[in-house]
Parts: sequence; structure tokens; C-alpha cells
Amino acid sequence: MPLDLHRLMPQIEVMASKLKTAQEEQRQQLQRALDTLHKCDMAALKRKIATSRTTWLVADPMENPANFYDHVACPSDYCVVAADGSQIDIDRHSLAHCLLINLGAILLSYGSKPDAQLLSQPMLYSEQADLVIADPSAGRQETVQGPLLGLKRTIAECQLLVDLLRGLGNERPALGLLDGSLILWALERQTYETFVREAILDKGLLPSLATTKELSQSRMLALASYISYPGSTEVVNILRVALCPHDPADCDRYCWGKRQLGERPCDEVSGLRDRDLFYRVLKTGQRSALFMSRSSILKYYGEHQICFFYLCLEGEIARIELPIWVAQNKAALELTHSLILEQCRKGQGYPLALSEAHELAVVSGADREQFWQLVQASFVERHLPEQVSAKSYSKRTRWL
Amino acid sequence: MDKIAEVVESSTSQFTAQCYELHQAPPLGSLVKAGAGAVAVYAVVSQVITASVEPGRRAIARGKDEVDETAVYRENPQLLKLLRTDFTALVVGHRQETKLHHYLPPQPARLHSFVYVCEAQELQEFSQRFDCLSLLLAAQPAGLGDELIAAFLRQAAQAHQDHHKFLVAAGKELAVLLNGQTSRLNAILRRMKE
Repeated sequence: MPLDLHRLMPQIEVMASKLKTAQEEQRQQLQRALDTLHKCDMAALKRKIATSRTTWLVADPMENPANFYDHVACPSDYCVVAADGSQIDIDRHSLAHCLLINLGAILLSYGSKPDAQLLSQPMLYSEQADLVIADPSAGRQETVQGPLLGLKRTIAECQLLVDLLRGLGNERPALGLLDGSLILWALERQTYETFVREAILDKGLLPSLATTKELSQSRMLALASYISYPGSTEVVNILRVALCPHDPADCDRYCWGKRQLGERPCDEVSGLRDRDLFYRVLKTGQRSALFMSRSSILKYYGEHQICFFYLCLEGEIARIELPIWVAQNKAALELTHSLILEQCRKGQGYPLALSEAHELAVVSGADREQFWQLVQASFVERHLPEQVSAKSYSKRTRWL
Repeated sequence: MDKIAEVVESSTSQFTAQCYELHQAPPLGSLVKAGAGAVAVYAVVSQVITASVEPGRRAIARGKDEVDETAVYRENPQLLKLLRTDFTALVVGHRQETKLHHYLPPQPARLHSFVYVCEAQELQEFSQRFDCLSLLLAAQPAGLGDELIAAFLRQAAQAHQDHHKFLVAAGKELAVLLNGQTSRLNAILRRMKE
């Protein structure tokens, strides 16, 4: 028996009772956070954020963080385009050294000429040049697997989305939607060399953003990404800066080694997430103020800085990220707000276009198995060696 | 004659065809044929189903805030691509070259054969004989066969110049097949006339 549920159950009970206690603590934190939010001196706070040195990421408020907005009516005719992807990573136990990216996209037209176009695009990479990111000048290379494959996939999704947006006629307003973040966090968290960052950003994501920006100058076009149930704390961290008695705040100088976790002044709100805060601030359908992310990777984004707002839906808060040139265009911002809301209404709480793009992109366990069987059959047909590792064989063949 | 569907599952006694247009299946009891070459398989539409293209996904109610049913499709254009209409047809005969046979074909309809609704002349020709009635009577689940026969004969009657004479002849054939099952026979006869 792989999982002993009888021994696990008491541990689940302990976890649940602890969470119950934590709820009351969170309620008090939330009240403190709301009080702080509504008392913000915007100019002073912006200055303090700019000069503070914190060990956590703080958003840059583009306006009063307590602001909120109702949505405007959707245009009568419009398009929503969404792209998503999934992948099969390189399996070092397998016979074939290859990876697969499967892209799914949908183009939905609403209004006088309703229509839907569905697209599923599998791409197999097996050439050495496709399996690594290389720096020809220095002879170095990084294998495309794990988080780097995730980044390659994100770029491919974005490129497909842009291709579809480019093919649209000019007559209808359009929204391009991606799932997840426009901020490539994996580039920030992993210690990749410069040539990897350049390949992913300068030759990957940024040209796609630039093309979309160019398209948006001749027509009503917005681009955004959607994060369901976000775990980010960048806005709560604004309040932590506000609560810090030191100006500028400096975590290393005033707290590191001097105060325990939970004893710092900012700990009054530090357990909260942005979604907890905005669930209290916003009513269903409303969006929050705009914030600009200060993620360190964004210093390479140039004119495509990433902003975000929170959107209150029935029962959840979503985070919407958008390039600054969408955020600063009032009509495009309103279009993004109202169309995402309408998509969530059609999609039972999650944007319908993203949900369908996901369905077109997803590679299920059965698909994965079938893929490897096809690879194996193809190898057998050509009398190629089909040896797999002992570990892989052991996992696929269970015996007593 | 325009093709309306394509065979996606096939056996000796029946085939399932996917319609090219959502909700555009031929009516229950229609005579259809799969394949238009040297061999064509004739069958009677016995079941129509519209459901998700993917087996694991179910359609959900979407019209709560819409004024009419067409608005549901207008507001959800993806539905036309994500739903499919299939129909199953019971095989009742076949044509080999020019010869028409009222019994099961030696091979089932080929997968991806195009499916056509038989026009009046072909329906009239096929229903000159009533051999297919015994095949339809045996259709499962219980009761389906009776409905099918009534629906098939109602449509076939329209293809014959003398509707009444055709239905009387069919009724006589049924009386032989359902010897001793008077109430069942009467139920079918009532439905043939309606």
C-alpha cells in the first residue's frame, strides 16, 4: 500500500485545527491592512518605496492603491484570442533524446459575425540545435529542460498569440490572453548566464511584445495574462513598507539578526496575500488600482514594463498582468477589464478562451504514453536501438 | 446528392456517422447510404446524439441569461466546434454495382465513407420490398424497432405514388412478422398512419 491513510489522518486533523486558529489571526491582520491602505499618503509612500531596501518584492503603485473601478460595457463586436501550451520534457531514461511542445489556441469572434477558430500545434524538437541554447562565441550551452523548457514554451505561446492577432482584421477590438505571468520569474530565480537571458528575452518574448505594441498603434488591441488565485504579496508589501517605522525601510539594517520573524513592525500584515486584501476591497466585477511590478528581471524588459491589477470575480480574485503600453491606454485598459470579466462569466469563473486553449494544448498522461509508444514503434520500424534505462523499465513494469 | 456525414464507427449490422453540421442529422427512420462507389451500404437512422467532441467533457447549461436558444450559440461560438452530432444507422441492405440486395453486406461500411440521405427515387426503389422490416423489428433496446419501422414506413410512403396502397402492403407484411402479437402490431399500424 503506497500511502497509509490511517497514519496520515491524524496529521490532517492537526493541520486543519491549526488553520482554524490562523483564521482569526488573519482577520485581525486584514483589518490592520485595510486601515493602512486607506490612510496611505501616496506621494510619501512612493518616495519611501523608491528609497527602501527590502528583502521582499514591493510593487510600485501607479495611483492610490485603494482606488477601484467598475467595468465598462463590452463592445458589440470584438475578438478574444488565447494561447496555451504544454510539454513533454527530455526523458534521459528514454530511447529518444527529444522534447515536445504542444500549443493550443483559440480565436473567438463575438457580435454580428460569431465564429470560433481552434488550433492545436504539436512541435517535436530532436535536433541538437533545438535542444540547447548555445552561446557560439564562447562555446557554452544550456540544455532546454525543466524551467528552461517552460520558458521556451511561454515564448512559443506568445509568438503564436501574436501571429493570430496579426491575422485579425482591423475592424473589431481584440484582446490577446495568455495564462500565467508575463514576468519570466524562472529567469530571475535560476542562475542562467547572459546568453540564455538574451535568447529567451531579447530574441524571444520581447520581439513578440514589440510586434503586439506596433499592432496596437493602428487598432484597438490589448494584451494581458491571467493568473488565477494568485499567491503574490507585492501590494501587501507596500503596506509593510508603510508600516515600517524607519524611513527608508532597510530590512538588513534594522531587522536582520535583531528581530525574530513575527516580531517586526511589518509582521502586522506580513501573513496576508494580495488576494486576501482585494477580496475585502473590491466588489464583484471591479478592478483594483494599477501597480507596476519591480521584479529585477524587468530591468531587461525596456519599454515593455509589466503592470498588473487585481480583478474581483465571483468567489475569487485574479491577477491580470499587462504591458505598460496597454495599462497607459485608458480604452485598452477598460477593454481588458470588461472582456476578461465577460470571458470569466462565459467560462464559469475562468476565461473561456484560456480554458479552451488549455484543452487544445494539454498533453494528458495517456497522450504521453501514446507519444512514447509511437516513438518506439517508429524506431523498431527502422531497426534503431530501442534500449531504455533499467529504472524506466522498472517503473513501467510492476511485478511482485 | 450532398454528403451529410462520415462513418466514424462501423460494424456489419450498424454504423455511426458524424454529421458535418451540428444538429443536422437526418430524421429518425431515414434511409441513408454509406459510400457512393461500387458498393454502397443502406441503413435506417436509429439513434441521433449531440454531445461534446471530447468524451470526457459534458455540455453545461449556458442560457440562463439569454433570451432565446440561438443567443446561446451566438454568445458561445466555440460550441459549434466543440459539439458534434452523430447518428447511428442499422444496416438493412447494400448495393453491389447496380444490384440492390435487401440483406447485410459481406463487409461493413468503410470508416470515413461519406453518408448521403437517399432521395425519393432511391427510397422508392429500396422500399419495393419489405425484407428490412425483420431486421428493424429486432432493434435494441426493446421498443426502438417498432418506432423505427413506423418512422421508416411513413417516410417511404411519401416516395410512393399511392401512399395508401404502400402502407397497406407494409401492414400485411408486418401482420405476418408479428403473428400473435396483435397489440404490438396495432401500435405500429397506428403510428404508421399519423
